[in-house]
Amino acid sequence: MNDDILLDVRHLTHVFPLSKKIAVKALDDLSFQIRRGEIFGLVGESGSGKSTAARCIMNLYRPAAGEIIYKGVNICDPAQFRTHRKMLQTTRQLIFQDSSSSLDQRMKVCDIVAEPLKIHRIRPARGSLRAEAEFQLRYVGLDAGFLDKYPSELSGGQRQRVAIARALSMEPELLVADEPIASLDVSIQAQIVNLFRHLQQEHGFSFLFIAHDLAMVEFLCDRVGVMYHGRLVEAAPAKELFSSPVHPYTQALLSAIPIPDPRLERARQIRQFTEDPENFQGVLTEVSPEHYVLMREGEHHG
Amino acid sequence: MSSQFEIVGIRPADAKPPVRRQKWYRGKPLFAAALLGLIVAGCLGCGYIMTKDPSYMNLSNCNVAPDREFLFGTDTMGRDIFSMIWYGGRISLFIGAAATVVSTFLAIVFGALSGTAPEWLDTLLMRLTDILLSVPNLLVTVLLQAILGEANVLSLSLVIGVTSWTSIAKVVRTEVRQIRGSEYVIAAKCMGGGFFYILRKHLTPNFISSIMFMVVMNVRSAIVAESTLSFMGIGLPLEVISWGSMLSLSEKALMTNSWWMILIPGAFIVATLLCITSIGNYIRKKANNTQSNL
Repeated sequence: MNDDILLDVRHLTHVFPLSKKIAVKALDDLSFQIRRGEIFGLVGESGSGKSTAARCIMNLYRPAAGEIIYKGVNICDPAQFRTHRKMLQTTRQLIFQDSSSSLDQRMKVCDIVAEPLKIHRIRPARGSLRAEAEFQLRYVGLDAGFLDKYPSELSGGQRQRVAIARALSMEPELLVADEPIASLDVSIQAQIVNLFRHLQQEHGFSFLFIAHDLAMVEFLCDRVGVMYHGRLVEAAPAKELFSSPVHPYTQALLSAIPIPDPRLERARQIRQFTEDPENFQGVLTEVSPEHYVLMREGEHHG
Repeated sequence: MSSQFEIVGIRPADAKPPVRRQKWYRGKPLFAAALLGLIVAGCLGCGYIMTKDPSYMNLSNCNVAPDREFLFGTDTMGRDIFSMIWYGGRISLFIGAAATVVSTFLAIVFGALSGTAPEWLDTLLMRLTDILLSVPNLLVTVLLQAILGEANVLSLSLVIGVTSWTSIAKVVRTEVRQIRGSEYVIAAKCMGGGFFYILRKHLTPNFISSIMFMVVMNVRSAIVAESTLSFMGIGLPLEVISWGSMLSLSEKALMTNSWWMILIPGAFIVATLLCITSIGNYIRKKANNTQSNL
């Protein structure tokens, strides 16, 4: 793995106004980096701002403060975004949670998969758009028989595969997946995660994987960031985070994972986590190589 | 033992009577479609069925009641009504279709623009439509026609089209507001699809069924508008033959007690409108049925 940084999120803050007086801070000073060819997992409970972060990275929301540097381009700056629009639109791709609403019900699978190529008028490498779509489908494990089907004729896992094929048809450098497995059942989740792993090894793209299923994140990701209320509380290589969590929120989150062994499971204790604002102050501090924890100056979590 | 396997005590299923397949034309407005097709075909192929030159004024034969030579009689200027009906129908139907194309195009672009715009622009555009909608249509039509000058077929269809898009635009806007948040539209935006690309590929196919009824009804109202304007003398001039301009002779006809001049063009208009309405109704029902195909 080289240390070339593809995506650098710096002090990102996003606020949703609810009314003229009340506003919700969805992202609060969020910073993380993704290297080339790396799978970065973002975990956290519902409402912790994971999806908002993904949408800011895809330029769907304009953040209130902070900057996102992608391949040296500050994509939050409208002028820079415009000059690099084509590069940004072709090299970043997004996969949604709900595959039934992320595919147009009135388009056939072959049109859906070839859609990005059609938008950018790229000459397909394999002759026709249809051949290209077939190739991409085969890559994600679907055969040519699916080309003429409509999304409503497919199962959830098949639809998610079509969505992945659509994202991959542009050969992206950064793939953002916003809870891609949350709406699938467990066996299909495993298939899709294995598929992601395989595809990532083949294509070598960087991958921002957002999930709330910790086991999947441990299996798939190289590095993991834990979010709570719009802040990154801990970021570390996956193995280290799961073996020695430092922040009390991470410890509580990890202790909530069921263990598939009844004897150990009976002995498992869920750590109580109190919403102590003290725990969410300060800056990310490196406690061991590559392991960052949100803590105050001079403080040390036990 | 009759078959290889038999379970004791089982009650065999009754032999099902063969399911009678639904006839394909069940519930479809077949009669309306056939009649409309006949009228349209007659108008398009008017050269083959006209018995006289429709614009030839034969003053020795004016106000002739229907007889064997003049099948539908002649008007006050001695023109053969049978030939005029088919010849003039072409113009009436053309105006109906052209005005609908103009108004549907305007409605889709305007409605989609308003539906995808930020809130302040959306409010502005919709209040603008409300203002247009609250002014009587006829007034705007007359005004525009006066600005454009002498009416001809194209200018009249343009004017009718420009004045009749507002209600479709409102429906389009509502539909677009529902669709624009869908993830496939967001995905297309991320991939770099522009406004017209998304409109063509994603928005229009998804809302077309809900405006189809209004579009078909628009053909009808455009034909009516043309007839109204021509009847009032501000539409097509007398020498341009259309169903509306034929009706504009009817006040004179009333005095000479010649019913055929009013009844025959009137009957053709009513028949066409009824056919279009019935087809439009069918489209609306079908659109409502197949909305949820999941």
